Amino acid sequence: MRRVGGSLWAALAVVAMADPAFAEVAAEGGGGLWYRGLIALAAGLGLGLAAFGAALGQGRATAEAMESIGRNPNSADRIFTPLIVGLALMEALALYALVIAFFLQGKV
Amino acid sequence: MGHEPFTWLRGLGSAEHVATSALVVGVILAFAAYVRPRLASAEAAATPESRLTARSVAEAFVEAMTGLVESVIGEHAERYVPLLGSFFIFILLANLIGLIPGFTPPTADFNITFGLGAVSFLAYNVYGAREHGVKYLKHFLGPIALLAPLMLVVDVFSNLFRPVSLGIRLFANMFADHQVVEIFTSLTKFGVPVVFYVLGAFVAVVQAFVFTMLSAIYLALAVSHAEH
Repeated sequence: MRRVGGSLWAALAVVAMADPAFAEVAAEGGGGLWYRGLIALAAGLGLGLAAFGAALGQGRATAEAMESIGRNPNSADRIFTPLIVGLALMEALALYALVIAFFLQGKV
Repeated sequence: MGHEPFTWLRGLGSAEHVATSALVVGVILAFAAYVRPRLASAEAAATPESRLTARSVAEAFVEAMTGLVESVIGEHAERYVPLLGSFFIFILLANLIGLIPGFTPPTADFNITFGLGAVSFLAYNVYGAREHGVKYLKHFLGPIALLAPLMLVVDVFSNLFRPVSLGIRLFANMFADHQVVEIFTSLTKFGVPVVFYVLGAFVAVVQAFVFTMLSAIYLALAVSHAEH
């Protein structure tokens, strides 16, 4: 607890010392360093979170498909098509985040 | 990667994607013109070919497509096979042409994929209205009469989002994939890009299949007679 508190104060101190410099830059142009930094951070982090969520869902779907094929090998053909459609729908959600990341990356 | 990569049709500038898709359509029409006389003869209907020829490719494709559409839509499936088969063959060839060095896939452009999604949206609404008449609008109201206003809003929004999602899914997959192939080919000139070519071929086929399946499913939902 003490170690966490110490590093927290250190982080706050860094931010407090850095603020005046960034505030000057921000006062000049349309936003400055914080603006572009936060946009870049949003693009990368948003895509990473989306990929994480999609991977969870797709892994679960594939695992259940594998188990049902193992239980009934003759059903492999009938399971394959709905599995692929489901995987593509989950992939699409991650791809929406990719498109937003492209938009954001264009603004950096 | 400061410079623009080389493509055969780069000289056309912003019309490059349209020109590449026109090339794909030209290839499909040339194949169709070649195979049609061979399919039209009476003996062609009775006996299949023994080797791999254009006729057997066309027959196998139509049979596979009809089986797929029938498994989703059920009765009267042969009405919808031309539309869904066209979606599949166009998107498949448009995706695969991106693997040929010097071409960008036309489906890596959101305008083209959104056009495809809009056609799919128009198609299932028109077929649904033709099948059910004015009662087609009852589809948007949901099963319970009390919740009809809420269900109407939800259903209209989700229907309006369908062409956009079809377009974005195809566009983002092909664009990201083409970027990955480009970057890895420019980084490591030999050997490693083969892995990404395999991935690209797989994604091309899967995305064409998923677009066609989803269009078939939306069509099946629109023309189904289950509730009536």
